[in-house]
Amino acid sequence: MSIALQCDHINKYFTEPQRFRVLNEVSFSINQGEFVSITGKSGSGKSTLLYILSTMDTDYEGALYIHEEQLSGKGQPVLAPFRNAHIGFIFQFHYLLPDFSCLRNVMIPALRAGRWGREEVEARAYEKLRLLGVEDQALKPASKISGGQQQRVAIARALINEPAIIMGDEPTGNLDSRNTAVVFDMFRKLTAEFNKTIITVTHDNDFAQRCDRIIEMVDGSIVST
Amino acid sequence: MKMGVNTEIAFTYLISRKKQTLVAALGVTFGISMFIFMNSLITGTNEYSEKAMLSATPHIRLYKDHAMSSASLLDNYLGRQTVNLIVNPQLVPDDNRIDNPEAVMQLLKRNQLITAMSSQVSANVLYSHGGVQENGNLQGVDILQQDKMFDISSTLVSGSVKALDNNPGSILIGVGLAERLNLQMGDHINITTSQGIVKSLQVAGIFKTTIKSIDNARSYCHASAVQQLLQRDRAYITDIFINIRDHHQAPAIGRQLEQLTGFTAESWQSNNETALAGQKIRNIIANSVVITILIVAGFGIYNILNMVIYEKIREIAILKATGFQGKDVIGIFIRQALFIGMIGAIAGMVFGWLISLLVSHVYIGAGNVTYLPVTFRIRHYVQGGLFGIATSFFAGYIPALRASKVDPVQIIRG
Ligand SMILES: Nc1ncnc2c1ncn2[C@@H]1O[C@H](COP(=O)(O)OP(=O)(O)OP(=O)(O)O)[C@@H](O)[C@H]1O
Ligand SMILES: [Mg+2]
Repeated sequence: MSIALQCDHINKYFTEPQRFRVLNEVSFSINQGEFVSITGKSGSGKSTLLYILSTMDTDYEGALYIHEEQLSGKGQPVLAPFRNAHIGFIFQFHYLLPDFSCLRNVMIPALRAGRWGREEVEARAYEKLRLLGVEDQALKPASKISGGQQQRVAIARALINEPAIIMGDEPTGNLDSRNTAVVFDMFRKLTAEFNKTIITVTHDNDFAQRCDRIIEMVDGSIVST
Repeated sequence: MKMGVNTEIAFTYLISRKKQTLVAALGVTFGISMFIFMNSLITGTNEYSEKAMLSATPHIRLYKDHAMSSASLLDNYLGRQTVNLIVNPQLVPDDNRIDNPEAVMQLLKRNQLITAMSSQVSANVLYSHGGVQENGNLQGVDILQQDKMFDISSTLVSGSVKALDNNPGSILIGVGLAERLNLQMGDHINITTSQGIVKSLQVAGIFKTTIKSIDNARSYCHASAVQQLLQRDRAYITDIFINIRDHHQAPAIGRQLEQLTGFTAESWQSNNETALAGQKIRNIIANSVVITILIVAGFGIYNILNMVIYEKIREIAILKATGFQGKDVIGIFIRQALFIGMIGAIAGMVFGWLISLLVSHVYIGAGNVTYLPVTFRIRHYVQGGLFGIATSFFAGYIPALRASKVDPVQIIRG
């Protein structure tokens, strides 16, 4: 089984208000097709770690490999297209672009990637929205739907480029149990059938227990993987 | 496709805040329309005053100046064994005639740049009629050539150029002179030179230019009449007036003609230096006003884009998180600026044209200016449009650059 993501002795410091170490010698690897959740108390550094794994944050020490490509030390001109093609990210607070319709929100990363023509992108976007049960909201402005619906549109957006790795910062934080189950089943299916890798931060113990693996953090260190 | 999505995002942002877009575009519109209007008016005014100048002055006047006494005769006589110097050289008085004018005219005719020529012999004279006398300047010309140059026909209020041409004993006088001496068509007028020679000429036409000093003093007659008054031979010519294709090149071509003929050339520009200096100052004033307006419009765009970026900073972060690069973000905001600039410029061109049209119908009636002289030149509109778009580009570039530097992690973390 091949390795999807690996990190080696990752350290990160914040200097404000005073210098302290948020991440402490974080090392682990995640196989392709694994469904992993990262848990830990609030403030333990889960989000910080996820931003590094997603290549958005480049200000850290240590090494990061995704699909055996070393990404630590690379600049955003390399990382941005990489992210666009290989990583889908679901934010802690569903950040959609409020001026655009839900459909456009889902389409934009795919239009940016330019892999498919506009019509195909639109068809695929509809398919993702259907998968998450928000197809009927497709043409509404993103600012005019409920929080849970926004969250699901954001998940659809993360899936649009068929990324190999999907990362979520509490992707089900805003969802009721029924929709949480829908998302969980979808993630499960993506890993099992399509060999995608999923890494989610979650506070939902139930959700975490049903994953393949739990990485637990305490004060910036990994205590169990 | 890449282009497509950036443009789409830019458009959506513009449309979702129509009011601000409109205000920013209005700034550009105002700037461009002022640019076009100012330029049209200034060019019109300059052309008008140039035309007035050139209605009385040829592009180039060729004449013989007094020469400094030179050592060339001494060189001829004494030979070159010694260096021959003249101590305290003086201006040699000359009768200032163009020697062999026919040959000079033939020579000039070969120059393709020359469009019209007219030889002149002029005299300061005293006009008198019925006991009243007036000073003035009588120009002996070939009236047909002169007419080709200054379009005298169009200024005639009575009589004709043909009538003068047919009768060597006739004269064309200005309307001012006609009034002062109470002269009608067909009347005889006595001309007296400083030497006391008197000649009577018959009025064959009265002209009215827009220039008072000419209407009051100048008159035209056959060259032979002036030659008789000055007691000179039939080849006595003092000036050759020359018009060329592009009157802006008069000084340069004048220098060429000086070399070619050996006579002195005086361009209309050197004759009208004060008026041309006035033109220059007008240009500078107009340009400063226009540039100021464009800068203000630029600040408008800059401000509004800055505001948009401030409000959209989270969205920029999301775009970057989903794989948009710094250059894409720059592209998105530059497109907004350019679009604002384009809308503003197009409206500015239309508006500028409207203002120009309106102003060109304003009746002034001061002196000989009836309506404000306004030009309509494609060049001004194209320039205005380009300036507007360029201003928008630079005004948009700075905020766009700032937006491209947004760190998504910092924003998303909150
Ligand atoms: N920009 C920042 N500057 C300084 N310290 C920060 C910054 N962002 C986060 N921190 C600190 O870093 C630590 C880890 O924050 P992080 O957001 O990773 O926690 P988390 O595990 O995601 O918590 P939660 O479950 O509440 O989302 C916290 O102690 C937090 O106070
Ligand atoms: Mg967090």
